Amino acid sequence: MKVTVAVNGTYYTREVEPRLLLSDFLRHELGLTGTHVGCEHGVCGACTVLVDGQAVRSCLTFAVQMDGAAVTTVEGLTPAEGELHPLQEAFREAHGLQCGFCTAGFLMTLVPYLAEHPNPSEAEIREALSGNICRCTGYQNIVKAVQLAAAKGGGR
Amino acid sequence: MTNQQTWIGKSVHRVDAPAKLKGEPVYMTDRPLENPCFGRVLRSRYPHARILRIDTAKASALPGVICVLTHKDVPGLNGFGIVIPDQPVLCFDKVRMMGDALALVAAETPEIAAAALDLIEVDYEPLPIVDDALAAIMPGSPLVHETGNIHLRTVIRRGEVAQAFAEAAVVVDHVYFTPRQAHMFLETEGGVGQLMPNGELHIWCPAQAAFRDRLQVARLLGWDPERIREYSSPSGGAFGGKDELTVQHYLALLALHTGGRPVKIHLSREESTVAGIKRHPFMVQMRTAAAADGTFLAQEAFVVADTGAYASLGGPVLNLAIEHIGGVYRFPSLNVEGYCVYTNNGISGAFRGFGVPQVLVALESNIDEIARRLGRDPLDLRRQNLIQRGDLSAIGNPMTTGVGNQAVLEALENSPTWKERTAKKAAVTDPWKRRGVGIGLCMQGLGLGKGIPDYGAAVIELLPGGKFKVGISIQEIGTGNQTAYAQFAAEALGCDVADVEVIQGDTGYSADAGTVTATRSVFTGGKAIQITAEKMVALLRSTGAESYAAAYAVARERGLETKVRGSFAWPEADEEIPGAFGLPHHIYGYGAQAALVEVDTLTGEVQVLEVASVVDTGKSINPMGVEGQSEGGVAQGVGLALMEDTVVREGRFLNANMSNYIIPTAGDVPKVETFIVEVHEEKGPSGAKGMGEVPIVPTMPAIFGAIYDAVGVQMFRAPATPERVYMAMMGDPSATEDTPALRARIAEGRRAGLAAQLHQTEGEGYAQPKGPEDEEA
Ligand code: FES
Ligand code: FES
Repeated sequence: MKVTVAVNGTYYTREVEPRLLLSDFLRHELGLTGTHVGCEHGVCGACTVLVDGQAVRSCLTFAVQMDGAAVTTVEGLTPAEGELHPLQEAFREAHGLQCGFCTAGFLMTLVPYLAEHPNPSEAEIREALSGNICRCTGYQNIVKAVQLAAAKGGGR
Repeated sequence: MTNQQTWIGKSVHRVDAPAKLKGEPVYMTDRPLENPCFGRVLRSRYPHARILRIDTAKASALPGVICVLTHKDVPGLNGFGIVIPDQPVLCFDKVRMMGDALALVAAETPEIAAAALDLIEVDYEPLPIVDDALAAIMPGSPLVHETGNIHLRTVIRRGEVAQAFAEAAVVVDHVYFTPRQAHMFLETEGGVGQLMPNGELHIWCPAQAAFRDRLQVARLLGWDPERIREYSSPSGGAFGGKDELTVQHYLALLALHTGGRPVKIHLSREESTVAGIKRHPFMVQMRTAAAADGTFLAQEAFVVADTGAYASLGGPVLNLAIEHIGGVYRFPSLNVEGYCVYTNNGISGAFRGFGVPQVLVALESNIDEIARRLGRDPLDLRRQNLIQRGDLSAIGNPMTTGVGNQAVLEALENSPTWKERTAKKAAVTDPWKRRGVGIGLCMQGLGLGKGIPDYGAAVIELLPGGKFKVGISIQEIGTGNQTAYAQFAAEALGCDVADVEVIQGDTGYSADAGTVTATRSVFTGGKAIQITAEKMVALLRSTGAESYAAAYAVARERGLETKVRGSFAWPEADEEIPGAFGLPHHIYGYGAQAALVEVDTLTGEVQVLEVASVVDTGKSINPMGVEGQSEGGVAQGVGLALMEDTVVREGRFLNANMSNYIIPTAGDVPKVETFIVEVHEEKGPSGAKGMGEVPIVPTMPAIFGAIYDAVGVQMFRAPATPERVYMAMMGDPSATEDTPALRARIAEGRRAGLAAQLHQTEGEGYAQPKGPEDEEA
C-alpha cells in the first residue's frame, strides 16, 4: 500500500506492507533509529512519537495509518545543529537519563504534555510519566527535568 | 600544573547526554547498515529433551534465505560460558531450557528469516525435567548435565557453632525465598556482525566484557582473537544481563556465511526474557543466634541458588552471597552450606547485587526479629555488632581497608526517614492503612575477588590542538562511567573535560580492562587512567613544550609515539578463604537504607512512600551520578521486594513480556533521598571505591522490615505481592511455607548435598559429543 507521510517536516511516499508498524517504518525504512522499541506491546513507551502533535506509541500503530499525517520523532525535536530542545536541555541538566534508551519516548510523551500542562505538580508529573518505563533512573531525575523545563517555560 | 580537584567530586553533566538526547544512532542496535541481512535464532520447544533430528532442508530452500546453520557449522568449541563453557552455542545432543539455541538463519528480510525458522524440522524426545532447585540436589533427580546437578558446593565453617547456639539467649530460624528477577534493560540483546574486507570479523553488540567476549567467540570459531574486534559500548541498560555472551556468538557464525554483508540480530522482548540471564532465585534457611546483651554469636545458613540450565556466573554469585551471609556484622562463628544447582528453569547469572540481596533479606529480617525479642531498637542492635576496621568478617576475612559501616549507620540515623519516623507513620490518612519504617544495612565486595586475575588498563592518545582520546575497554552501560573517566583524565592531564573523548568497549582501540561488573568500573578505570596519564605527563615533559598543543607538534616532528598505555593489578586480600573460590574480597562498598511504607490492610497492597539511601562511595567522583545510581538501584530493589518475578512453571515462562512482567513505574518508585558518605579508600583512585550495586542491596530488607512495622507480619517470600501480604495478615495457613514438610526436605537436601560426589567440569576439556544423525540438505 502507498503511504505519504510528513516526518520531521519532510514528505515521504513509500510502498509498504499493510502490516508494517510505524516503529519499523521509522527505524528501518527511514533510518530514524532515535525512536526505540523496548517491549513491542505498548507498555514501555520507548517508541512514542508525535502524530499531528499527539503522543502515539509507534509500536501499536501501522505505517499505513499515517497517510496524510505529520509525524515528529526525537530527531525532529532538536532545533538546529548542535543545539538541544529546552526539554532535552533540562534532561541534561537534571541528569534525567542514564543508559538513555528510554529517553526519546519520555521526551516525546512530555512535549505535548507540557504544552497542555505548563505548571504540573510533582504528583501530576509522576502520573504523566507512569505510562513510560525507565529501568535505570528510578524516575526521580526525570521528574526533576520536567520541573526544570516547566520552570523555564513549559519546555517549548 | 593542575589545581587539585578541578573535576573530581564535581557533578559534571553526563558527557554522553547530548547524543543520546538527540536520538543519534549511538547504540549498536541503531547503527545504519549498508545492504544488511537479518539473523534469527531457533529456540527450543521443550525445557528438556533429547534432539533426535534437525532438518534444515526446507528452510534452506526458501527464497531469500542466505544460510541456515546448526551445530555442525560451529568450527571450534561448541560451548561457551564465563567460568566453564557448559552452554552449547548450538545444541546437538539435547536441549536443557526453553531458550536453548538449535539453529541460526540469515535472510534478506526479518520476515523471511522468521518464516525460515518455522521450516526447520526438529524431532525431540522430551525428557523429565527438574524445576525445583532443592529437588535437583536429591538423589534420583533428573539430570540436567551428566556430571550432576550440583554446579558448585561451598561450605564454610568457623568457630564453635554448636556451643554458640546452645548458649544463645535468642535463636531465630526462618526460610526465605527470593524471585527470578529479570533485568528488563530497555534495549534487548542485539547487534551486528560483519566479515570485513581485511579478513577481520567485527561485532557490534552492547556488552559488559569486550575482551572476554572476543575470547569466547575466538574459541568457538577456532580463530586467533586478534582477528576479531568487538565494539560494545554504549548499551541501553545491562545490569549484569549482558555480562555473558548474548548474541555475539550467533552474529559471528552467521557473518562467516553472508559474503561480507552485515548481519543483524535484535531479540524480541519475549526471546530476550526466555533466553537471557536472570537473577538467581535463592532459598535461604538461616538460623541466627544472639546473646541476651544483643551480641551476635553465630550464623548458620543453608543456601540453594537456582542457576538454571547453565552455570554462567552461578558459582561466583553463590560465593559472593556466602561471603556476605553475615552482612556488616561480627559473627564469631559461622556454618554455611551453599549450593548452586542446575535446573531446567532458563538460565541465571549476573544481576546487580550478585547474590547479596538474596541473602541479605534473610539476615536483616532475622536481626529485626532478634531486636524485637530482646526488646531492642533495631538500629541500636545493629550498631552494637558492626564490623570495625581490623575485625574479621563473618567468613573470617580481616577487614583491613576502609570500613564505612559506622559513618553509614550514623547518616541513616540522621536521615529524616528514620529520625522523624514516629511523625511520618502517624501521618497516615486512611483508617484502613498502616505505615511502618524498616532498615537494612549492607556491604558489597568490589572487584572480582581473591585469586581471580583482576586488572585495569587504559590508553591515552594526544591529538592535535592538545586534545585527548582516552581508551578503556570497560563499557558505558548507563552508569555514567564515561563521564567519570573524562573527569579522571581531565584532572590528571590538567585539561577540560570537553577536551577528552572517551572511547569504550572497543577491543581494537584499547587494552583489556576487564568487565563492567562487580562495582569495579570507577576503581579500575580511574586507576588505569591515572597511571596512564602519568605517562602522558612524562611525554609532555620530554618534548619540553609548554602546552599539550605544542607538545603534539614536537612529538610529530620527532616521530614520538603519541599514544601511551598504562595498567595495574587490583589489590587483593592476603589470605584466601579455603574451599571458597574467589573469596574473600578486599575492598567493600557500604550502604544502608530506611524505607517508609504504607500497607492497605484491605488489599495487602504496599506502597513505598520514601527511602533514605546512604552510600559509602569512598571519594565520590560525580555526586549527581551517585545519586542517579542510588535512585535507580532503589527502584530495582522496590521491584525485587514487591513486584517482580519471572514465573517459570515446568520449565516454561509464563510472563515473558512487559505486559505481564511488571516493573516499577514512576507511580511505584518512592522519593529517594541519597546521603553520600565518603570513607576514603587509600588504595582507590583519588580515594574512590565504587557504588553501582550497593543501592539495590538494602532495599528489600528495609521494605520487609517496614511491612512488619506497619502490620506485624514478616514476609518470607519476595516479591511481597498484595496477595501474599494479605494472606499473611489474615494468618492464612497457605502463607506459611515453613512447614515440617519443608524442614524435612531441607534436612534431606543438606544430607544429600554433603554426600554428593562432585564432578569438576573441566573448562578446557569440555568434550563435544558427536551430534545425532541429522538429516540435512
Ligand atoms: S515499544 Fe512501544 S510501547 Fe514499548
Ligand atoms: S535511562 Fe535506561 S531505561 Fe531509562
